[in-house]
Order: sequence, then structure tokens, then C-alpha cells
Amino acid sequence: MTITDDGLTPADFAATASRAVAACAGLSVSEQGARLVGDGLLGVIAGDNVGGLDLPLSFAVPVVAAASAGLLAFPLMENILLARLLQQRQARIASAIVAGDNSATIAWTGAVSAKKQGDRVILDGWVARAPRASDVGLMLVRVGATGAALVPISAVTLEDSHGIDLTQPEHTVQLNAVSVSADHLLADGTWPALESDALVLRAAAILGSAEACLALAQEHVSTRRQFGRALSYNQAIRHTLARHKLGLEGIRQSIARALFFSSGLRERRAAFLAASSYGVAISEGAVQMHGGMGFTWDVPVHRHVRRIRALQAQGDASGVLAALGHDTIADVSPAHPQTAA
Amino acid sequence: MTAMNVPVQDGAADASLTGDSYRQAARSWLRANLPEDFRGDSAAFTPPKLDQSIAWEAALHRAGLAGITWPSIYGGHGRTLREHLIANQEIGALPIPESVNSIGKELAGPIILAIGTEAQKLRFLPRILDMSNIWCQGFSEPEAGSDLAGLRTRAVREGDVWRINGQKIWTSGAYRAQRCLLLARTGPVEDRHRGLALFAVPLDAVGVRVRTIKSIDGRESFCEVFFDNVEVSQDDALGAPDEGWSAAIRVLAIERATNRMYRAWRFENEVRHLIAAAKTDPVLSGLLQQQHHAAKLAETIVDIDVLKAHVETAVDALVAGETIGARGSLAKLHWSEAHQRFAALAMELLSKASLPLQPAVRIALRRFEGIYLQSRAETIYAGTTEIQLGIIADRILELSRGK
Repeated sequence: MTITDDGLTPADFAATASRAVAACAGLSVSEQGARLVGDGLLGVIAGDNVGGLDLPLSFAVPVVAAASAGLLAFPLMENILLARLLQQRQARIASAIVAGDNSATIAWTGAVSAKKQGDRVILDGWVARAPRASDVGLMLVRVGATGAALVPISAVTLEDSHGIDLTQPEHTVQLNAVSVSADHLLADGTWPALESDALVLRAAAILGSAEACLALAQEHVSTRRQFGRALSYNQAIRHTLARHKLGLEGIRQSIARALFFSSGLRERRAAFLAASSYGVAISEGAVQMHGGMGFTWDVPVHRHVRRIRALQAQGDASGVLAALGHDTIADVSPAHPQTAA
Repeated sequence: MTAMNVPVQDGAADASLTGDSYRQAARSWLRANLPEDFRGDSAAFTPPKLDQSIAWEAALHRAGLAGITWPSIYGGHGRTLREHLIANQEIGALPIPESVNSIGKELAGPIILAIGTEAQKLRFLPRILDMSNIWCQGFSEPEAGSDLAGLRTRAVREGDVWRINGQKIWTSGAYRAQRCLLLARTGPVEDRHRGLALFAVPLDAVGVRVRTIKSIDGRESFCEVFFDNVEVSQDDALGAPDEGWSAAIRVLAIERATNRMYRAWRFENEVRHLIAAAKTDPVLSGLLQQQHHAAKLAETIVDIDVLKAHVETAVDALVAGETIGARGSLAKLHWSEAHQRFAALAMELLSKASLPLQPAVRIALRRFEGIYLQSRAETIYAGTTEIQLGIIADRILELSRGK
């Protein structure tokens, strides 16, 4: 477990984050951002030069999990990541994010081309899966294979929000000869580093939603009575929820393992993939556990199903799975005629 | 080189080595001393004979790689649980045959350490580690499998001896064991969990009869053990009649989380062996490039990493002084099902091998056919999948019985 010099642990942030997220109920997206500033949550991993707490990534895990469990509309994960990403080359913007004076999102899929023109860069292309793009001032887009650029939302064309996630609707965005200052173009290698941290925080977000789903399902089967008994009397129900608990602990412990191996891409991919597959099973299973009520708008489980599916797509789970497989295969030499491994 | 003439090097047993240096010493010793014909991925592999296994495991102990956390006064190495994990990671990384005395090292030994008298610890524990006493587990009965509270084997006290009558089944390795960790009833069946006592029964006692049962992998390791008026000394009774079982349950909970700690790393060794063998075959190497098989292997890697996370979390919890309780069921349930999925995947992939079979593919087929068949037992022994699910529902989720 990570412990700071002050004796703080990531778990200490869980309760704070849950309280802050609960206090955001009923607020607009921008009001939520301002509310989160008060607890220092936007700058949890950003450097102190931009007003952040300068804590390790592990401290962002309970914060992002709490946000997802509480179905927070504000794109907290993106702002936490960007505050740190921009702290050196765009310290003014990073400070504004940490202070709640500006907020940002990330277009997780698609990429644009960049052409330098003097001290400007011209960006062209389509990007997508940008959560809450219409509610923030800035957006990070991928440039080419590994670069990134920061663009003002006012300079791009947002399609109406769409996507399955009601909590953080996503936008597809066209960049048609968008001109940004050259210092808004971030170095090659920026994107893979961002994606690596996002693997862990996405797993944390899924953990938060999955935990909420299991709690809702558990509550429902313990109180709903059929045939004169609570649903939880039935072995089929008990065993299904036991499997969900197994999956939930698998997610939690995989995240802890990924944080322990701080730079291990394999462990980070495994955490995200475990979260992706177990998270879907737990949330969809919670719909099933609720029976017909699970199919209604009013029971909040569907919001988590939507959220987890959106996170799975933003992280390109099937692409990450294939990459993990190909990397594993490439890492093994053919068997020697005498010994096979 | 065979296990019978393993030259035991100094180094790994050096008590001053810790952490990474202990890992390096363990790794060096294993690579220098593991006989080629013990390696499941080698063309030279032949299933080790009992005396070879005994010699190998005794050498492992002398090298500091067995009895790792047991106190040195009982023949152990007095190391930490973290070092136990390190040794298991290194042992798991190699295709080494399963221990023939895991019941002694991972069940009987810890129970004796928890509830045995000082004399029993001194008498039994060193012999487990030097492999002069192999143990088997006499818990299950024909009418009491998962429901041990229903077992019927009776132990009646007559002065300084106990007289035992009954039958045990699914007793792995009883034919080769010197001692049986026997669970027997001292009171009436209606007492359920009360009145259950543990004994260290010598299997050469008069009235003990062992019959082997052929299992689905063709081996005859499974046994039935019959006890017909067997006299057992009070010196071989472990704990008080009512204390033995409850203490054993506590130990079993820890063991479920920590036994065969090498499994995740052995699992990874198996995956790497499968890939290495497939790469020697023109058809299989082509299949590995396809998205489907890459994704399936990646799912196995995720399963392995989740298992590693379960194991490491359990070690962290125990080191922090926490109780494991029912959490041991999580790792057992996950591992057993994940391993079955992988074994089926390995069989499916290897079935597409080109003809004539490449030598490495033949070796892999032999190993993975065995693993596939043995994996069918993994969701049955040490508490079936259904029992583990029940434990998680009852004791972790604390789901209402709904009345």
C-alpha cells in the first residue's frame, strides 16, 4: 500500500471522495467541478507547482471509483489525468483545471493529423468518445500514433451527444483545419503514457460502478420476497452473487497489483481487462437479479451498465486484449528440440 | 542427471539471504539442480518414481526451499511468509512435478504446528521435511464428502489408546504414505461438528487396509482406506477431541489461501510452454497470429494475473496480522476454473497441429493431456466449486437465508 510522508493512504481518500460526489447531486456539470475543487480531488496526482497534491496514481483510484459509484456527471478521470499531464508544458492550464477555473475532456478514440504553420499547428480529422465535451472548455485529442494536442472546444465542431452512457454522454468531434498554438501540440509518446495511466483509472471507475451494482443486487435479493421467502434463499441467486463477488475482488486486487508494479504495462492491461469482463458480468447480472424491475428506467443499475460499457469502449478492451495476447506470444521463443519452454 | 544423485549446492539455504538475494539463490539452485527428466517440457521427461521424488523433495528442503516458514527447531528455515512466496514463485516458474508430500507440508504440518504438543512437533515435523514420512488426508468418506459433519468413522478411547473403525475415500497417495491425518468421530453422528478429533495414524498399524482407485487420468493414486479396529496411541491424537476440528478449520482457511502458492506461476509456465511448442509448428504458429487465439491466450494471462493478485493480497493480509477466513475460497475458486479453461484451450489448439507431429508438439500434447485430465479434479478437491460458492455467499456476502 502506498503511504505518504504525512501518513495518508489511498483509502483515506475514499471517504472524502464519496462525500464530495454525494454533495454533487443535483448540481450542473460545471458546479460539480467547482465543488470537487474544494476537496483537492482534481489535483490529487498533479504537481504542487500547479496547486496539486502531488500524490501517486494510487490515490486517484478511490477518487475515480467513488465518482463512478456515485454516477458523477463531471469527467473527473479526464481532468485528474490532464492536470498532471499538462503540469510541465502547460502549467497555466493545469493550474486552471486544478482550481476549477477551466475543465477539459479527452477524445479517447480517433486521431487527427497535424501540420505546422509557423508558430501554429493545423489539426484535421475526426475523434470520438469525448465524455461531456459540450460541458468543458478544452479537449485533448490524439495526433498521429503517439502524439496529442490540446484544443479549445470552441474551435471544433461537436456532434450532438450520443452513446449509451447517460452519466457522461460522449461526443464525436470534427476538427476541420483547427489552428492551435504550437505549444498546444504535446510530444510524441504523450498518448501511450496517458493511456497507460487511464488503464488503471478506467479499471477503478468500473470497480466503483460494479461495487454499486453488487450492493444494489444484494439489497434487492435480500428484501424482495417470492414464494414466501427472500430471493436470496435460492441457491441459483446465492451462487450468482458469489461469482459477482469473486469478480469484484478480482478487479480490486488486480488494480492493487498494477499499482504495485508501477510501470508494468502487462499488469495495467490485466487490471483493465479484468475490470472490463467482470464489470460487465456484475452489472448485467445485477439487472438480471432485479428481474423485471431491472429493466426499468428507475432502478439505477442500467446507468452503471451503460457506464461500464462506455468505459470498455473508450479503453478499446478488445484491442487491448489482442495486444496483450500478441505481446505475450512474441515474448516466447520457439521450443528447443529438447526442451519446449 | 537424475534426482537420485542431485548434488545439493550451498547458497539457497544461507539464512542471511533475504528478498531479492534469496530469490536469486533459489533461482540459481533450482536451475542448477532440477533434473532434466523431471521437466514436464522436456523430451527426457519420465514420470518420477517415488524414491526419485523423495530424494528431490528432500534436496529442496536442504536447499531452503521447503519448510520455509516453519521454526528451525522443527527442521524448518524460520523464514517469512514473503520469502515463502518468493520461493514458490521460483518453483512455479519451472515445470516441476507436483509434490508427493503436499498433504504433509501444507496440511498436516501446519495443523500440527497449531495444535500439536511439543513432543508431536518434534516427532512429526522434521520427518515431513526430510521426506521420511509422507502423509495423506483421511477426511472424506463414502457418505461424507463435502459435508464432513456427517462423517462416521469412529474413534473410541480405551485407556491410553484409541480404537478406530471406519472407511475413508478419495485419499490421494495413501498407498505411498506413512501417516494419515485422520478425522474421526468420538461422539454420536448427531453431534455433527462436535466430537470430531484429528489423529496422526501410522498406516502400517494392524487393521489398516489401502485399496487404490483408478482415476480418469489412468493413474492409481486415489485410494480407499479401511480402518478395522485400528489401535492408535494417545500420543498420536492431535489436539483435544473437541478442539482438534475447530483448530483445523482455522488452519484450513489459511491453507486454502496459501497452499500450493506456486500455482499462478506454474500456470504461467504452462502458457509459455504451450506458445513455445506451438511456435515450432507451421499451422499452430499461424494460428497464434490470429486475433482469436491471441485473445484467448490474453484471457488466460488476465486470469493468471488475477490469481497472482489474490495470492499476493492474501500474503499481505497475513503479514499484516489479518485473518483470511473465507477469502481463501476466492483464490481456490478462481484458479480451479481458470485452469480448466486454459487446459481446454491448450487441447483445442494442439489438436490442430500439422502432421507429422513436431517433437515439441508431442511433448506438449503429453503434458497438456495430463493437465487437462487432472484439471477436472481441481474444481472438486479441497471443497468443490459449489461449496466455495456457498462459502462466499454465506460468509463473505452474508446473504440472508431468506426465511
